[in-house]
Amino acid sequence: MSKEITKSDLWKVFWLSMGIESGCSTTKQEAPGFAQGLIPVIEKVYDDPQDKADAYSRHMELFLTEGRVAFFCVGVAASMEEQYAKAKDFDPDSINAVKVALMGPLAGVGDSLIHGTLRPIMAGLACSLITASGYTSPLGTLLFLLVMTTTVMVVRYFGVFKGYELGLSLVEGMQEGGFLDKLTKYAAIAAFIVCGGFISSLVWCTIPIEFVNGDTVVSLQETFDGLMPNLVPLIYTLIMYWAINKKKINPVLLMVLTMVLGVIGVYAGFLA
Amino acid sequence: MDLLLKAIMVGIIVWIGFLDKAFLHTFIYRPVCIGPLVGLVFGDLKTGLEVGVSIELMFLAVVWVGVAIPPDETLSAGIAAAFACIAGDASVGIATALPLAIVGQMFRQTRNSTIYEVTQRLVEKAAAKADYKGIIVWTSIIPSFIEGLLFGLPAFVAVYFGAEYVQAFIDFVPENVIAGLAAGGGLIGAVGVALLLGTIKNKELWPYFLVGFFFASYLGVNTIGVGIIAVVAVMLNFISDKQKEKNA
Repeated sequence: MSKEITKSDLWKVFWLSMGIESGCSTTKQEAPGFAQGLIPVIEKVYDDPQDKADAYSRHMELFLTEGRVAFFCVGVAASMEEQYAKAKDFDPDSINAVKVALMGPLAGVGDSLIHGTLRPIMAGLACSLITASGYTSPLGTLLFLLVMTTTVMVVRYFGVFKGYELGLSLVEGMQEGGFLDKLTKYAAIAAFIVCGGFISSLVWCTIPIEFVNGDTVVSLQETFDGLMPNLVPLIYTLIMYWAINKKKINPVLLMVLTMVLGVIGVYAGFLA
Repeated sequence: MDLLLKAIMVGIIVWIGFLDKAFLHTFIYRPVCIGPLVGLVFGDLKTGLEVGVSIELMFLAVVWVGVAIPPDETLSAGIAAAFACIAGDASVGIATALPLAIVGQMFRQTRNSTIYEVTQRLVEKAAAKADYKGIIVWTSIIPSFIEGLLFGLPAFVAVYFGAEYVQAFIDFVPENVIAGLAAGGGLIGAVGVALLLGTIKNKELWPYFLVGFFFASYLGVNTIGVGIIAVVAVMLNFISDKQKEKNA
């Protein structure tokens, strides 16, 4: 005899899942937080202590995706645990299989949209507002917090509640219609455009080299700007991309080298 | 308020930042929030905002995916903003930001592969006994204090004991080096954008990169404007995909 999961149970799941990234170890990543999120469900749908222990242990397998879209997996897992407790008519390992199938594509979408697109755009806006106020008004900071907090809360709410509501059927539907592939594609389009836009706002340098050509002074910076605005930042970004993705150089090392390049550039007179 | 109390407050702000990363994730851990908070503690909102903005821009596009741990912007912003407020000079904060971020990264890396390996095994033990209280204790409660010990406490120590040394060190560093670090700081955003580009799965869509570059660099469209263009491009693709499905 198992009990139905209610709305208030799902709210408990919502709040307990907040710890998804707490105690995140290298080998199991978000597993402890995932198990914690399912406590209200597992405690309710199973009566036998051994069933509870099996269910908790099931969710101690490695789990890693973007921490906000992860709530969707928690919702789906909650629904599947409830179904399994009711009928025990499918292999409980499939609960983990579904989680594993979801975490890759969801991580791509969550990382690109939340951390790769929305967060930099809002933080960039906050920085411009603060700079425009002459560093006196923290309005930009407050706006940033408001938008980001609302977004992550809404994503989590829909994750738990929709994930639970649709459960398995949704997972099947997503894979059949190629829905996740499409979502990844749209995220890629948005991320590419935003990245292109970042070059001018995030990467900058001034080259103070000038040539004297007869009576006229030719500034190298102006020549480059005439060719293409932000030409040097674009090239530098592409070099970094090549170094990280093709040459597998540690990005932290590249950051340090970039700082060193700045110092050398100022001493040698090719950067200002 | 004397330095002791201020340093304690900085430690608490950094701790709150790390708790935010682990739990609510309201993004208060970002430099653009930590900077002004530290500024308020020192009664110097202006310097706090200036350092917060500079470090935020430095790490704006930095997105690390999967198991990798990025240089830590929270510890960096907290301590660097405090150093800058004590010195009354935002450039002190900007110069110290990257080394501090790398220290934070090392702390996080070590934490995940040692301390949290231990707590995670204790969660597993609790799970095997269906002891849900044990799961909560080792997943949320103990790690919350570990965050304070590993990040809040070092931030306090750095601000309370380190500020005068940092000041002496910065005075000793030639002006050209500070200017050079600022120039390097301008280019460091390239590493972030490169990382972000690396996360994109569908590489064949790269022409969209030029779309964004064109609007921002040639037409001077700001980031919100570029965001709108991104929405338009996604919607156009969505519509054409739908039509393709209809015809198929």
